[in-house]
Amino acid sequence: MTDTDVTVPEDPQAYVEQVMAEIAEEVRLRRASGDLPPKLERQLDELFLAHSPVAGRGGDLGDALRMVDAATFIDPVVPVESERAAGAVVKKGMRSLLLWYVGWLTHQMSQSASAVSRALHIVDDRLQELERQVEGQRVPPTGVVEFPALQRGDAWWVEPAVAAVATARGRILQAACGDGWLVRRIVAAGGDAYGVDPRARLVDTAALGTLDLRGEPLGEHLRAVAAAGLGAVVLTGTVDGMAAAERSQLLAAIGASLAPGGTLVLHSVTRQAWDAADAPTEADLAAGRPLRPEAWCTLLEQSGYEATAQPGPGGADYLVTAVRSAITSPHPPTER
Amino acid sequence: MSAAAGGPVAVHQFIATLNPHDATGTHALKLRDALRAAGWRSEIFAEAIHDDLAADALKHWMYPEHARPGDVAIYQFTTSSPVAGYLAERGLPLLLDFHNFTGPEYFAGWEPESVERAAAAADELALLAQQALLGLAKSPFSEQELRRAGCRRTVVVPVLADYGRVTAAPDERVAGELAQHKAEGGADVLFVGRIVPSKAQHELVKALWAFRRLYDGQARLHLVGGTSSFEYTKALQDYVDDLGLSAAVRMPGEVSDAALAAYFAAADVYLSLSAHEGFGVPLVEAMMAGVPVVTHGAGAVADTVADAALVLAAADHSYVAAALHRVCTDERLRSTLTAAGTRRAAELSGDVAGRIVDAIATVVPRP
Repeated sequence: MTDTDVTVPEDPQAYVEQVMAEIAEEVRLRRASGDLPPKLERQLDELFLAHSPVAGRGGDLGDALRMVDAATFIDPVVPVESERAAGAVVKKGMRSLLLWYVGWLTHQMSQSASAVSRALHIVDDRLQELERQVEGQRVPPTGVVEFPALQRGDAWWVEPAVAAVATARGRILQAACGDGWLVRRIVAAGGDAYGVDPRARLVDTAALGTLDLRGEPLGEHLRAVAAAGLGAVVLTGTVDGMAAAERSQLLAAIGASLAPGGTLVLHSVTRQAWDAADAPTEADLAAGRPLRPEAWCTLLEQSGYEATAQPGPGGADYLVTAVRSAITSPHPPTER
Repeated sequence: MSAAAGGPVAVHQFIATLNPHDATGTHALKLRDALRAAGWRSEIFAEAIHDDLAADALKHWMYPEHARPGDVAIYQFTTSSPVAGYLAERGLPLLLDFHNFTGPEYFAGWEPESVERAAAAADELALLAQQALLGLAKSPFSEQELRRAGCRRTVVVPVLADYGRVTAAPDERVAGELAQHKAEGGADVLFVGRIVPSKAQHELVKALWAFRRLYDGQARLHLVGGTSSFEYTKALQDYVDDLGLSAAVRMPGEVSDAALAAYFAAADVYLSLSAHEGFGVPLVEAMMAGVPVVTHGAGAVADTVADAALVLAAADHSYVAAALHRVCTDERLRSTLTAAGTRRAAELSGDVAGRIVDAIATVVPRP
């Protein structure tokens, strides 16, 4: 603690605002100087996730059962090593005295745990069989659908999108970042941006430099982000072909990660562009179809955002800018 | 409502668990005293009662033995409990004292049983909110929840708490230990609260990691509070070990009031990155103890601290680290925050009992 100027400012509110701006600038400088290497930050986020219980990593019953199996056997023979003289002898004596009793108890406990484990394996087998049967009806997660003519640096929506998020307080996440062209634009405009993209090969070949680009799916990444850890989110090429359930899950995950007052910017193509002859093949393969901008506004308003839509000049795409309410419900409505 | 023959109307409280060591238990006990002082008869009926409070409460199913015509019930709503269904069935005139509850999404992947319990709490809130004569919310954030659940009449009044405990004489042994570490250098960062996923202690650890790496290699983090979430606590401990922070992160568990006073006295900054708080009594305790607060505005936190804390827009660890550094090294900022904190704590603790009694008197005639 320093002992410099201890006068309380005349306008404390304005002073605290100024401090917050200085903190944001400090973070930007630290990141630019390489003090916070993106790789290290990624590891920090992922490390805790690795310690979460099986359910937190996707709820695989097989993994859980392996853990149960490993813990089923209870060893009644306790270690007797000791750092103290004669300690080992005393411990060994106690073990010999108690082993007949403890061994009897642990044998029954192991048997009981084994019986439970066996029952769970039967449940697992039956679930796997069910999963095989429903596999044919499974809807795969929507990948990135790129419309190169609409998703590039000189597109009409890029400037308003960058302007909407560049002054965000906190980190700005861009989904489907590709080689990071939009992340670079946001960073150049003063935003603390980073990107994720499920197409890891694109990210790997990108000129990483000081850009923080991560080759992972958006949903998986959001699980590792702190609640209210983001100042803004930019989605492009991400939501256009999503099915209702996936869209709803994504909105819930963004809702948990975006700070109150944060901004969500969403760029999507229209159905007209989606159905055009020159649309990419991924559009045909996607489970869903683009929503109309009005539908996005309604959905986002139901989830606690104030949303406005801006149609593109050629009727091929649109931009939705949504600001999250400063006070939000912990239980957002789901899409029905 | 009319009083029973021979006595004033009773305003009884119902609560899931009456515990002397949690905010809701303290609130209920203090409210009972305030109700009695105002002239109402008042008892506490609970689903579970801590042994130390056996003489202070009755099991909720014993209420019929004490029921009188004209009785009014205040339900201390914190979580799912059979008491909610019991009150709905009895049809007593009801006031909902809403402390908020942690939503199921915060337990997902950690505690399946808590997910179910939190979902049930939402159903119970919807059931009771509509029949409540008045909803007492602890913050505007909780008031919104009550309104959404169907409560037609609401008022915001803070929690009744024993804030004096943090400024009382500190435990000498704990204070001595903390002073010894402080003499070796490094800031002391404090958080008080149960170790559960919704309090996001792992985010505090991330922030400490960044703070030590960039600014203060000897900084320490004290996570004071017990746990009911063993999976999360184990993950947190493993995370601390993996990051090489075992010596820097202290988890003393639940501590006595005097020990708590020692932690507040030694803290350079109070840091909260909870994903959800219904009010946040320790935030007020920190402000009361003159400890600057750094936080972000999740749940009711922004309402509680108002303009008396450094409220970060986002909980990203790099911003938190920079904020911690600034608060620990900028005496002008510290003075600004502690002055505002003292004022805010006084606002939240001044005659709360009187304000609650006045609110109740708008729907229940004074004796």
